[in-house]
Amino acid sequence: MGKLYKFLKYSFITIWTVFVVAPFLWALTTSFKDFNSVNGGATYIPWVDFEPKLEGWKVLIKSPANGGVDIIEPYFNSLFVTCTASLISIVLGTLSAYALSRFTFKAGFVKNNDITFFFISQRIMPPIVLSIPFFLFLGAIDLLDSLIGLIVVYIVLLMPIAVWIMVDFFNKVPREIDETALIDGCNPYQAFFKVVLPNSVPGLIVAGMFCIIFGWIDFFFAFILTFTEVQLLPVKIVALNSSITPWWSLSASALVSVAPLIIVAFIVERYLSKGNLSGAIK
Amino acid sequence: MNLIAENLSYKPDEQFHLNEVSFNFKKGNIYTILGRTLSGKTTLLKTIAGLLTPDKGEMQFEDKDFLKVPVWERNIAMVYQQFINYPHLNVFENVAFPLKQRKIDNHEINDVVLKSLKSVGLEGYEKRKIQELSGGQQQRVSLARSLVKNAKILLLDEPLVNLDYKLREQLREEFKNIFSQGLSEESIVIFSTTDPREAMELNGEVIVLDEGKVLQVGPAKEIFENPKTLKVAEISNDPPMNILKTNIDSNKIKFEGIEIDIPNHLSNIKDKNFNLGIRASDIELSDKGFEFEVELAEISGSETLLHLTRGSAKIITSIEEVMNFNIHDKVKIDFDINKFYAFEESGILASSPFGGSYV
Amino acid sequence: MNFKHKYVFLFPGLFVLIGILIFPIIFVVRLSLSGWNSYNGLNFIGLENYIRLFTDDPRFWQSFLRLSFLSVTTVILQYVIGFALAHMVWKDIKFQRFFRVLFLIPMMTTPVIMTVIWRTFFHESLGPVNDILSNFGMSPKWLTDPTLAKITVIIVEVWQWTPFMFLLLLAGLLSLPKEPFLAAAIDGASPIRKFIYVTFPLMAPISIGAIIIRLIEASKIMDTVYVLTSGGPGTSTETSSFYIFIKGLREFQMGYAASMSFTYLIIMIISLTFIAKGLTKLLLKD
Repeated sequence: MGKLYKFLKYSFITIWTVFVVAPFLWALTTSFKDFNSVNGGATYIPWVDFEPKLEGWKVLIKSPANGGVDIIEPYFNSLFVTCTASLISIVLGTLSAYALSRFTFKAGFVKNNDITFFFISQRIMPPIVLSIPFFLFLGAIDLLDSLIGLIVVYIVLLMPIAVWIMVDFFNKVPREIDETALIDGCNPYQAFFKVVLPNSVPGLIVAGMFCIIFGWIDFFFAFILTFTEVQLLPVKIVALNSSITPWWSLSASALVSVAPLIIVAFIVERYLSKGNLSGAIK
Repeated sequence: MNLIAENLSYKPDEQFHLNEVSFNFKKGNIYTILGRTLSGKTTLLKTIAGLLTPDKGEMQFEDKDFLKVPVWERNIAMVYQQFINYPHLNVFENVAFPLKQRKIDNHEINDVVLKSLKSVGLEGYEKRKIQELSGGQQQRVSLARSLVKNAKILLLDEPLVNLDYKLREQLREEFKNIFSQGLSEESIVIFSTTDPREAMELNGEVIVLDEGKVLQVGPAKEIFENPKTLKVAEISNDPPMNILKTNIDSNKIKFEGIEIDIPNHLSNIKDKNFNLGIRASDIELSDKGFEFEVELAEISGSETLLHLTRGSAKIITSIEEVMNFNIHDKVKIDFDINKFYAFEESGILASSPFGGSYV
Repeated sequence: MNFKHKYVFLFPGLFVLIGILIFPIIFVVRLSLSGWNSYNGLNFIGLENYIRLFTDDPRFWQSFLRLSFLSVTTVILQYVIGFALAHMVWKDIKFQRFFRVLFLIPMMTTPVIMTVIWRTFFHESLGPVNDILSNFGMSPKWLTDPTLAKITVIIVEVWQWTPFMFLLLLAGLLSLPKEPFLAAAIDGASPIRKFIYVTFPLMAPISIGAIIIRLIEASKIMDTVYVLTSGGPGTSTETSSFYIFIKGLREFQMGYAASMSFTYLIIMIISLTFIAKGLTKLLLKD
């Protein structure tokens, strides 16, 4: 029984691993191809199946004027927008989450859980619902095709995540710690900043990671709300997806854009093993 | 500097957590709030601390309307039953926290903190992290932090309940020393507990609380000797005082076929039917006593608690050694009639061995 | 006691959110009551859009069915596979850390970008999948056959988002108390019994949370469809979001699109609430 289970287990893991790695490997080989290697049919191993060329990669370095693909600027735009929006979302979201965890609110029939639900329900809205109004809204205040406009919209996307994770986290920090801080002479603000916050670092890190991930991967809002002045990475890559763009530059650009977040994967795994992630879920 | 409260009431749901509670606490004294779980002890302490606002009532301290003073401006300290310390600070920083908050000079902080740690027996632990300490040590850190402020009101909410038996005994002893040395004569100490023995040991003024109501107030000895009602007798004894429904007939106390002579101190009882109270420790095994049947035998430390029945009467007696009994064994017991209590049918104390009466 | 601080904490976040949202939401409602398209401006036509939606637009409701099928299928697959993976790397296993990081990676990639790669991957004549399958005499039309297109979308979604489930469930497993497992070991329970009677029930609350969250996210599926199939072939992979997109931003029937959006929102909130309650009853009773 044990042996069969072990065999199944390792087979399953192997199959899934192959599945996970497949597109990356494919993109990697494809990035070294040229016209002939692609159009003859699928080819796999360089030097064996086809003649590797650096064309796909050179394109990333060449400037647009020379037929290159500029992904440096979109890269930094994405980074800037994602980080700023995440930061603002976490700051505001954490404050609200603390209030929802510790204090009771009652305005008519609206209570704490309703307010929390309101925050979280923003995630239910598909981007399409808000994209047209936002399009008009940003247009009216002249923030279309701007970094700031995009940040404003991303806050709506990311604050719910921050609130969801932090409310849960704060609920697990014993109230008595806040109370002791008050008794020791802290007013509620000091209690929060000096005592609760330092003990919430794991939760903040989880919230931060999720915000950054979900902000970085957005395609739709960037697609609708920016054009030429500001370009974000996902949009740029998809634009390359027209039938004209060769597969090799496509693959190279894709690989380069995807690489950085893999670092986040390492961070997340470290935190998981330390047992800090578990508090934030549920 | 008295802490005076009048008719504090707090009813957040169907029940009263505090029901018209009044008190007058004088500085330099220890007050013990004695009550069972959910009797309102924690609620009372939190109200005094300012963490809860009562629905009704008034509270004054130092001639100010205390209810209007926010928690952080009240000169108080509190020790919780779940060892609460700041997890992100080490021992020294934990104890120093309230002083830093008051912006006291660092040199002074250093001296005071070290002195406080010494008084709770944690010399040398300054740099340790809270998570490395045992439960007892963590509680001592909490205590040190509460003492370091020289607060005018020190609140302790069942501070020993989560410690093991031995540690509890040890700390109880130390508390008395700490309170007399570590605090100024200006302080009011309020200590809550469910354990009557703790109340007796602390030997302060006891406030008996049940279902949010104050049942009796008095020195520990008085509560022990003259409990005002059956409920108080129940709360202030461990194991609870035995209560038997009896009646007087031809000058004898009768119940379940037992006849006992009336002791002198009960001779003036007017009612024919009354509740007889007798402590477990005042009942002995005796060859010539009354026959009861064993329902359960509990070994508690070095004592045996025997649950006995006779007809509809149920009593508990404590024996000062470990003995084995089987269920349904028959034993003979005798009552020390000089320790009988008489409570009227309404529950009020009619007569006690110490001369007390509330009728 | 001074309670002002309650509001000082809550309001910045709440107000910023409401502030940013208020115009768009009111506008969507207003828009849905108008017939804004390339010809008309912002007129007022009352509930005409909604009437049309409920009586004359089977395509919308079909898109809803497709959406339900796609999202429920992917979430179930993600849950089962994610749980299996989490369970396998939970206890010690060779290269544990390597596998944990590896299994997390797909989630960290930008879905759109990966989908671009998937398009080349599933290319019917030049892609590796059909190349290998041709050795077995098969050449499935991954992107041009209506049923297969759905399957391709599901495959891509499962690849992309199983790590999310994997993460939540692994975190959950790591936080479980040890005692029930010790008790099961003492009782001599086999691994299967252990799973059915100890692991799974303990994970019930976390499972529900994870499924709901994934359902919310999965129902918005848009990027994948846009890049991979553009809703096609025909309308076989057209989800509600995509249909609204077509009506709104391709055909510019903004008013009608707005009414679809609003209806979609209400339906989603109601069904998610029911699903949440249903799952809670189902999993927590076991």
